[in-house]
Amino acid sequence: MKLNLHDIFFAYDSDIIIQNISCSFASGNFYSIIGPNGSGKTTLLDLISGFLNPGNGHIDIDETPVLSLSKKEISKKIALVSQDYAINFPFRVKDVVMMGRHPYIPRFSHPCGSDVEKVDKMMQICGIYHLSDRKINELSGGERQRCVFARALCQDTPILLLDEAFSNMDINHTLQMLRLVKRSVKEKNKLVISVFHDLNLASSWSDELLMMKKGGIKAFGNSQDVLTQQTIKDVFNVASIVEFNEHAQAKQVYYPSI
Amino acid sequence: MSILLNILKGRTEYLVVLFSLFLVLMILISLSMGYIHIPMLDIISILYGKISGNLHILENTSETYLTVIFDVRLPRILTCAIVGAALAVSGGLFQGILLNPLADPYTLGVSAGAAFGASIAILLNLSAAFVSVPAFAFTGACTTLFLVMFLSYSSKNPSLSLSSNNLILSGIIVAAILSAGISFLKFIANEQVSVIIFWLMGSFASKTWTDFFAVLIFLMIGLFISMFFARDLNLISLGAKSATSLGVDLKKVTIILLVTGSMLAAICVSVSGIIGFVGLLVPHTVRFITGPDNRKLLPISMLAGAFLLLFADTITRAVLPHEIPIGVLTALTGGPVFCWIFKKNRFK
Repeated sequence: MKLNLHDIFFAYDSDIIIQNISCSFASGNFYSIIGPNGSGKTTLLDLISGFLNPGNGHIDIDETPVLSLSKKEISKKIALVSQDYAINFPFRVKDVVMMGRHPYIPRFSHPCGSDVEKVDKMMQICGIYHLSDRKINELSGGERQRCVFARALCQDTPILLLDEAFSNMDINHTLQMLRLVKRSVKEKNKLVISVFHDLNLASSWSDELLMMKKGGIKAFGNSQDVLTQQTIKDVFNVASIVEFNEHAQAKQVYYPSI
Repeated sequence: MSILLNILKGRTEYLVVLFSLFLVLMILISLSMGYIHIPMLDIISILYGKISGNLHILENTSETYLTVIFDVRLPRILTCAIVGAALAVSGGLFQGILLNPLADPYTLGVSAGAAFGASIAILLNLSAAFVSVPAFAFTGACTTLFLVMFLSYSSKNPSLSLSSNNLILSGIIVAAILSAGISFLKFIANEQVSVIIFWLMGSFASKTWTDFFAVLIFLMIGLFISMFFARDLNLISLGAKSATSLGVDLKKVTIILLVTGSMLAAICVSVSGIIGFVGLLVPHTVRFITGPDNRKLLPISMLAGAFLLLFADTITRAVLPHEIPIGVLTALTGGPVFCWIFKKNRFK
């Protein structure tokens, strides 16, 4: 499966958010998007997931334009872990995770045995099984994020988009989730695109990095090429030392403490 | 009590049966109460005779009883119950769409629009042509809804278009303008002012079968649409992006459910004036029993709303020495109850 972006442009009135983005993503790879606040990372994911329509250009999955698909068809191809994980109503955790099966359950019918099995399995994998009867709005931020994660995995899609999906998780859960995602990329040939703020996690876990600046692509490729003192200085305006780290088996970025 | 509650939780069928029984019982009690007391046994045999078409039974009962039941009490009681049901469903829908357990059918200014329309009709003395006050009220409510939706809609930014905050703000603005308009109409109305004021306070006095069937049709259609989209409405509470990524056509579902909820509120206001707190209190309280799943919440709220409003109307009609406007009664009793529920549950 291949996801192609052709010359994407997006603006709110005169505020240009995304311009001249053309690139392609192939399944079996873990991509990370990095870049400063307001560089258009989330908007890019929203465009890919079909939540926003590009002002210009088009996005297609294996030659099929995303905009030609219905919302339901898209939801069977692309799952999104977004940053809006605040939920106002006291749904139980297992109900929220079951909502990930929504695209597969016909109207007026109840979830079947395999739906329930899948939900139980994903809650176990994400370490929230013991919370399954708790109310979602009574959980901590990190626990809620894991519920949303489990929900997206239940959607069973070839493409998974993660918008800072680890921002509230402790390091233990972050690594668990990353291992899980990485394994599904390699074993089930999935396509994962994740927005990261932590450059070091992005570097050690992803196959390729996409660095954004002011709505455009600054660099796209493996971390060896993308992460350099120069690009980090250009994009984030910080001084840094970038070197290969034996333990992480990847380039890591260090910042002076003054 | 808590064990009973736990058994009932999650069992929608039992709840539907239980609340339906309560409602039927309330209807029978209410039929027997009033200026002329009619014994319960007579009521049951008269209703049985009418339904089964067995006219022998009807021949033996007094003419007065028949008139009181079929021409006076039953239309009023059923209209009241169906309005309570429609208001509760409407409130449940608004709470779901606006992501706010404290929203009600009037949050978007539908009541102010209806009141404005009704005031114009009363002021211009159109009530001679008998449907005009409700028709004007209904038109006013619909116009308000479309104005509010127009103000809060944007084709460019789907995460803010028709968002809860924008809808509520637009509703407040439009309602504020309309209530100033109503004040102006009252000011120039002279002796008609009391008619306007009484209409606004709401009443079920002298309701007819036509009123009942009008609301019934709206409620049947509205309930079907609500149940059709109930699962989508559950997903909307996850947020715009999450709901969209799970296959919900957010714009379509929001507009359909907003129109459905508002039409229900509009027909209720047109028939019986402004009756507050039923649409807020009932779905809010029922949620403690059924949980937030709209597939359970909406039908149970419907039955509970019918029961509650009929209870209130029976009190004002048959228990109190003077009939007080139903809208005033629901606000005076519902308000404090709501304060208590609010204080007890919001800070847990």
